[in-house]
Amino acid sequence: MTTRGVALELDRISHRFGHTVAVDGVSLRIEPGEIVALLGPSGCGKTTLLRIVSGLLRQSGGHVTVDGDIVDDLPPNERGAGIVFQNYALFPHMTVEANVGYGLRARGIARAEIAKTVERMLALVRMGGFARRMPRQLSGGQQQRVALARTLAVSPRVLLLDEPFGALDKNLRLDMQIEVKRLQRELDITTIMVTHDQEEALSLADRVAVMNHGRVEQFGRPDDIYDRPATLFVATFVGTTSVLRGKLLEDGTLYGTAGRLPLGATARRPTGPIVVAVRPEHFRFVGDVEPGLDGRIELVLPLGPLVVYDVVASDGTTLKVTSPRGAAARMPGDRVRVALAPGTVVPVFEA
Amino acid sequence: MKRRGGDWPLVLPLALFFAVFVFAPLALLGAVSLYSDATLSRLGVAQYVKFLTDGFNLGVLGQTLWLGLLATILALVIGYPLAYMYMVAPVALQRVLMLVIVLPLLTSAVVRTFAWVVILGRQGIVNGLLAAIGLIDAPVRLLYTPWAVVVALAQIQLPLMALPVITALGNIDPNLRHASYALGAGRWRTFFAITLPLSAPGLLAGCLLVYAGSVSAFVTQTLVGGGQLMLMPQYMFQQAIQANNYPFAAAVAMILLVAVLAIVIVVNIVTRKTQALVHG
Repeated sequence: MTTRGVALELDRISHRFGHTVAVDGVSLRIEPGEIVALLGPSGCGKTTLLRIVSGLLRQSGGHVTVDGDIVDDLPPNERGAGIVFQNYALFPHMTVEANVGYGLRARGIARAEIAKTVERMLALVRMGGFARRMPRQLSGGQQQRVALARTLAVSPRVLLLDEPFGALDKNLRLDMQIEVKRLQRELDITTIMVTHDQEEALSLADRVAVMNHGRVEQFGRPDDIYDRPATLFVATFVGTTSVLRGKLLEDGTLYGTAGRLPLGATARRPTGPIVVAVRPEHFRFVGDVEPGLDGRIELVLPLGPLVVYDVVASDGTTLKVTSPRGAAARMPGDRVRVALAPGTVVPVFEA
Repeated sequence: MKRRGGDWPLVLPLALFFAVFVFAPLALLGAVSLYSDATLSRLGVAQYVKFLTDGFNLGVLGQTLWLGLLATILALVIGYPLAYMYMVAPVALQRVLMLVIVLPLLTSAVVRTFAWVVILGRQGIVNGLLAAIGLIDAPVRLLYTPWAVVVALAQIQLPLMALPVITALGNIDPNLRHASYALGAGRWRTFFAITLPLSAPGLLAGCLLVYAGSVSAFVTQTLVGGGQLMLMPQYMFQQAIQANNYPFAAAVAMILLVAVLAIVIVVNIVTRKTQALVHG
């Protein structure tokens, strides 16, 4: 395979369905050979955006650029976008072989050539022995391999994956994720995948675009998304967080209805109403002499090496706290005081 | 849900109804057809021999099955695009189209047939129009021709074609079409390679309904076809009511039944094959 990654640029893409704005001015620059995940809750516009890039849907505004050329007026095959659907959309009345060769036949390529390409594609996705099977005779993972082969057979410049692992059970999902990553690296093909599964996005993608209400809230490397969320939405959507509201005082303490919480190393902000998002691993239990939030343990959930506690503060706010197993075990109903672990930097947002 | 053995009494009313009003008359019909004379005194297969050895009778059978086939093809040619149009139409238009499609079912076959008599008659709409624009001097004979019967049957049976096709088209995952476009196929290739084969079960079901309905449509055949065009249902009526030859009429009925059943069975086998292909 001699596919070489191409750059893909979305320039202020907007889309409306009637009066509903599905995609609202999204601009992304995706580097050649990069794999980018569009992550967001259902209805955030990520699938609409993918369909616009594929050419199956014409956007209301903005431009899609592939390898420097605006492709807005081109149908899917001419813009070099290959899409793998969530349910694979294999043609049920055709053999695996006929499915993989479909795009080549549509291009009027010679029969011998098609047979060769189909064989090579099936070998690439490790489905060599299944050429004569019907799609219904294959497992979910096998169907997905065939769907990938069918899309890759026409040598797309951009690979689009719509919730690629959503229909697979958990064990198979990991195998296929590794497989897709391998193919993507091997072919060096620029890839966009849509997912609502944050673990999938963070583990597979080079960069993640977190979307909400048709906008991109943050576009960055997985570490940045997790450790330095740009907005409160990103902080709460990705990973587990406890959200605390209150006023930032001069001494760097959050003063809210739940009590006082020193924010320690967190960058000083203008004082005033703020919201902080704290990861469970950034909380710790402290003694009575140290300042912190008082609460009562509601629920204890041992998860192997870690124990997760649900702590309800005096104003009813629930705090999620993790601590290593073995440290003094706490029981539901215990009174505790919670503070930030030393050196922790928590994201602070203006309320 | 687990199937429980105790549910079978639920089918009793229907089974009873079928036994009394379908199977019993059918058995009676079969029994009557096995008498060799009109007074029902001698048993024998003379009526069948008479039918199957007479060129006129075979001609009536052939003509009936042939007109049924033509009506089915015409209904398919009109009904499939109609169903396709329904599927791609916006929801508001779909409601209107559905009303138009099922409207014929809400009026009686007699009314629909009389409409065709009015349209195709000597002083009918078509002749009036042709005369008005000067294409003809004298009225053309449209009514009482085989073509009139085919057109009228196709129109009257159209809902039975359109509805199963609509269901079949609706069952096709739209992503299959999108996948086809995305792989570089145009609209025509997508239609012939994906949509048409996957809608085959509905298409065959529609053909079967229209065909069975057309070959046995007494009212339409008689009123639009007139006296000159002898078809099986009318032949039965004539032999039973006018000639008082019940055994022969019964034999005609049995032969039509067997002929149609044979076609139904063959089409059903094909349908099951295509369904296996489509649904896995």
